[in-house]
Amino acid sequence: MNETIAKKGILPHQSKVALFYFAMVLAALIWFTPVITLVLTALKDAGDFARNGAFSLPKWIRWENFSEAWETGVKNYFWNSVIVTSVKVPIGIVIESLAAFALTHMHFKWADRVFTYILIGLIVPIQMTLVPLTLLMNLLNLIDTLPGLTFLYIGFGVPFGVLVMRGFFRTIPTAIIEAARIDGASYFRIFFRIALPLALPAVVSLCILDGVATWNEFILAQIFLRSDELRTLPLGLVQFSTQFSTQYDQLAAAVLISVVPIVLVFLFFQRYFVSGMGGAVK
Amino acid sequence: MTTLQQLAKPKPLRQRPPTPQRVRDDYLRFLPWVFLTPALAIYSVVVVYPMAYSSYLSLFRWDGISPTKVFVGLQNYVTLFTQNEVFWIALRNNAVWLVAALLLPTSIGLGLALLLNSKFRGSHVFRSIFYFPAVLSLAVVGLIWTWIYHPDLGLLNQALTASGLKGLTRNWLSDPQIALYPVIIAATWSAVGLPMLLYLAGLQTIPEELHEAAKIDGAGPIRRFVHVTFPLLRETTLIVLAITAINALKAYDIVYAMTNGGPANKTQLLSTWMYFLTYNYNQVGLGTAIAVVLFSLTLIFAIPYIRFMTRKT
Repeated sequence: MNETIAKKGILPHQSKVALFYFAMVLAALIWFTPVITLVLTALKDAGDFARNGAFSLPKWIRWENFSEAWETGVKNYFWNSVIVTSVKVPIGIVIESLAAFALTHMHFKWADRVFTYILIGLIVPIQMTLVPLTLLMNLLNLIDTLPGLTFLYIGFGVPFGVLVMRGFFRTIPTAIIEAARIDGASYFRIFFRIALPLALPAVVSLCILDGVATWNEFILAQIFLRSDELRTLPLGLVQFSTQFSTQYDQLAAAVLISVVPIVLVFLFFQRYFVSGMGGAVK
Repeated sequence: MTTLQQLAKPKPLRQRPPTPQRVRDDYLRFLPWVFLTPALAIYSVVVVYPMAYSSYLSLFRWDGISPTKVFVGLQNYVTLFTQNEVFWIALRNNAVWLVAALLLPTSIGLGLALLLNSKFRGSHVFRSIFYFPAVLSLAVVGLIWTWIYHPDLGLLNQALTASGLKGLTRNWLSDPQIALYPVIIAATWSAVGLPMLLYLAGLQTIPEELHEAAKIDGAGPIRRFVHVTFPLLRETTLIVLAITAINALKAYDIVYAMTNGGPANKTQLLSTWMYFLTYNYNQVGLGTAIAVVLFSLTLIFAIPYIRFMTRKT
């Protein structure tokens, strides 16, 4: 397996492989230091942290950090994030897929122009929208509400979702769609019965990428959520860090709680990250 | 009793009355808009209309509260460029950030992709490890690195002290001279994953035979990279550079979480300074003008990117 790495040279094959692995493991350890520090800090008590620093092993494991952080507010933040993400992602995917289908398989004359119009949203700095959105949300009485925030997330999610779904729909042969047309199926039927099921891998990819992005979003939450009990995780954690700036143990535990769902998704659905991003640049 | 003739005669298929061709055409022409409406409507309301309205607001002096806006033409832009010192700091920081983003995550991502593209035992584990920071929220990345840079308890200063380099320790995020750079390092850590992923995908498309052929012709690994691999990654490189640049100009959360623009506004970016002017100082005209400047900068990288994405295939 390792012929590609160890070629003929001064060192014997075995030592070259060993050296390669040593270098890789070292690099990976250095790369992962921040994460290791986070975990170690979350597991020890504040006194231990102050005496022995960030990177020492905990003298004893203090699980209470997690329960205390959870009760101090993380519980709220966590469930708010769950609600917003689980409402935003499915709605977003349905409307994005419908649009992407129209852009790929419906002989739509304006497809290129509409797609370009949608792509603008990928590049626009969010600052460009904040003031008018504040006015709009104020008008609609949606400031400081989770439905309001979800509404904005759905809107901002459109460009990336359409991009990914369009990339996938383009790979569905036109012949399949045309055959269904000739058999008399309506476009709605084709979309729900043929295109969407065929696009299942893309849908899963988009669910994951979009879910992670929504879970991690900060600036819109910061501007449009005001009360503590409505905050989502990233916002809540930053606020937590300014309020309890010295309680590193609890803050680290809180951060770790917010990261756990992402880690699980990442471990189980890793290949979809790759295929999803691949779809985005196709 | 049915006769043989009756059986032989085919029953006419039940058919809908044919829709007139013109009505059908109109319906089919109209139908794509039905599919597009939900996405286009919400996208236009949430993204496009606010963009246009922001550009319009940047021509007014307004505090965001009072009912009257005073039309001042391009005065807000003149004020930014001639009187607003922090604007220049932010602009310079954006430039530094942009250069760093175009050099560091891209080259590290490419290097890792080249290393991890060959299938050796554990290569998937290494891929996950190096990609992992990219899935964390930037706010969280900011918080984690803030501890690392903590003057007394932080890992960086402790490691420096332990290795006899106490002279190099400093208060990383409070030193106005250097505070921007630690933030950029933290941002780089999280920005490497995406280029790595895109380069790995790009490398998959290069046929193995090309490498074999170059090897037989006597090209060493470096020449193979320069003359075979890298030219074939041209398209990937363009996408990577465009996306990294656009993302770099969007940077906000990590600065907010790590330095909040300080010390003494030395780590402000256009994005954070826009927030401060608009929401802390009620200078809505100046704030939206900054947003327009930021958007114009983004366009430099975005126009080739959008051209590429909408190319005819």
